[in-house]
Amino acid sequence: MTTLGKMAKYAFIGKITLRNQLAYIIDFLIRSLFLLLILYIFLQLWQATFHGEGDASLIAGYSFNQIMWYLVITEAITLACPSLCTRIEEEVKNGDVGYRLVRPIHFVVFHYVEYMSEAAVRFGVNAVLGGTLGLLIIGPPELSAGFLWLPLAAAFGLTVNFMLNMTLALCAFWVEETRGIEFVYNKFLFTIGGMLMPLELFPDALQAVGRWLPLQAVLYIPAKTAVAFDASRLAGMLAVQVLWIAVIGLAVAWIYRRGVKKLNVNGG
Amino acid sequence: MSSIRVEQLGKAFRIKKKQEGFAGSFKSLLKPLYEDKTAVDGITFSARQGETVAFLGPNGAGKSTTIKMLTGILHPTIGFAEVLGCCPWTERTKLSYRIGSVFGQKSQLWYHLPPIDTFELMSRIYELRRSDYLQRRDEMIERFELAPYMNTPVRKLSLGERMRCEIAASLLHRPQVLFLDEPTIGLDVVVKQRIRRLIHELNEQEGTTVFLTSHDAGDIEQLCERAIVINYGRIVFDDRVELMKLRYMTHKTIRLVVADDPGDMDIPGATVVERSETKVVLSVDTSLTTIEAALTNVMSSRRIIDVTIEDPPMEEIITRMYGDFGEEDCSS
Repeated sequence: MTTLGKMAKYAFIGKITLRNQLAYIIDFLIRSLFLLLILYIFLQLWQATFHGEGDASLIAGYSFNQIMWYLVITEAITLACPSLCTRIEEEVKNGDVGYRLVRPIHFVVFHYVEYMSEAAVRFGVNAVLGGTLGLLIIGPPELSAGFLWLPLAAAFGLTVNFMLNMTLALCAFWVEETRGIEFVYNKFLFTIGGMLMPLELFPDALQAVGRWLPLQAVLYIPAKTAVAFDASRLAGMLAVQVLWIAVIGLAVAWIYRRGVKKLNVNGG
Repeated sequence: MSSIRVEQLGKAFRIKKKQEGFAGSFKSLLKPLYEDKTAVDGITFSARQGETVAFLGPNGAGKSTTIKMLTGILHPTIGFAEVLGCCPWTERTKLSYRIGSVFGQKSQLWYHLPPIDTFELMSRIYELRRSDYLQRRDEMIERFELAPYMNTPVRKLSLGERMRCEIAASLLHRPQVLFLDEPTIGLDVVVKQRIRRLIHELNEQEGTTVFLTSHDAGDIEQLCERAIVINYGRIVFDDRVELMKLRYMTHKTIRLVVADDPGDMDIPGATVVERSETKVVLSVDTSLTTIEAALTNVMSSRRIIDVTIEDPPMEEIITRMYGDFGEEDCSS
């Protein structure tokens, strides 16, 4: 079987996941309504902040409109991410992992395709709903070429998030309980990962830390690419994402090889 | 030619021991204690191509652990195994194209989609040629009588319909060895019979090696020519099913519903196990009498409304086997 043929196998898995996810579309829509609450709270918060700064037009280089659209994008991506730890933990606990391993498919690649397909459906729903809410509450964004690069940057961001979550989820092969680590990870992503605000708004020391962490590649880079596009920095930012995909991908491969030997499949 | 070869295969798990009470839990956090549990203890056997083998044992005996090692899901602690010439745990992907597996309590079908989609997915996963897949799919649909359900979402199917789809999906790539882990669990008698017949036909016509675990005596009697019994991780019996039946399945149960109070029953070779006003449960020792003779005896003086004849549960046969092999031999 050629590499192309193998890719076709995973492409079909992606396609079937997309179809399966359509059954949950109402669930996604309801979940996305959470965006309304977040946008309302942050609208009030940022209005007060800009007012407190003497009605400044820019804070750390971002206008009020840019910051609010930044939030729409980071929330749309965050709410699009399935909980990989929950999924793999459940597979290990109920023994379904066995069915994954007896098929001629790679466990990690299968989950990547499934994760990305599900995230694509959810991100689509969030983008439509968030975009509509944004237009109604904030007004139209300052359109730039960055919005054209957003799908690619978001796909890379979701891939980095998948890789990071997979390193945590694979711990289920040893300890079974991984949701605690996932909880802590998500909190880091929300703060130093730049979900709530762009990294430029952080104190210098924290910014320096954030720039050395892979978390910036998940939400900050895609959202910044769209709302504060700088053509001269685009290649560099995408390269950071690709680099983290490669580095964490190697870590995932290493952990998986070790974990699959340790795995204790429950049931039966 | 051997399709499965196992030599001194063993698997031990390291299990954390939790002490009783809150203080015990806290102590376990600070100073965890571990215990090594041997699930499979150096078993050796082989199965030739086309053989139907029942792999039996009570819960926790090591059956599923053995199947998981033979399919490459688990890595053994000691020993060696070869399935179709491949080492399952080091050549899992290569082997997976040639084996099929059905775990009765798990599902491989996509819950919200019709079975036809899972079939299509299987054809891609196993990289089947389009024409081969379509021919095989139609054959499976016809043989398993799946046509009415192929376009119904799996969540709307009954357990029996789903199970037939599960098995058919596992056979699309024409596996040479089929591992069945309790394939008839939870199914009604009619569906069980149907599934047994289909698996039997498959074995006869395609020469597929069937390696089956089940607690259902009917599965073993009707499907398998050979039985391997495992207990405490060790093989305690390995011979023909006929021989096992002769030696251990010496009792059958007759459940009767009678029109009037049955009164005292003195039937040679049978003992009354349970009794109420109109219901009687008899245990018939088939080495002393036949079912026909026992029933004739009952019917000669009582009017029977309903009668059910049951094989003893697998646990009972195994319990009988423990007696023969000796408790010490089985548990050591």
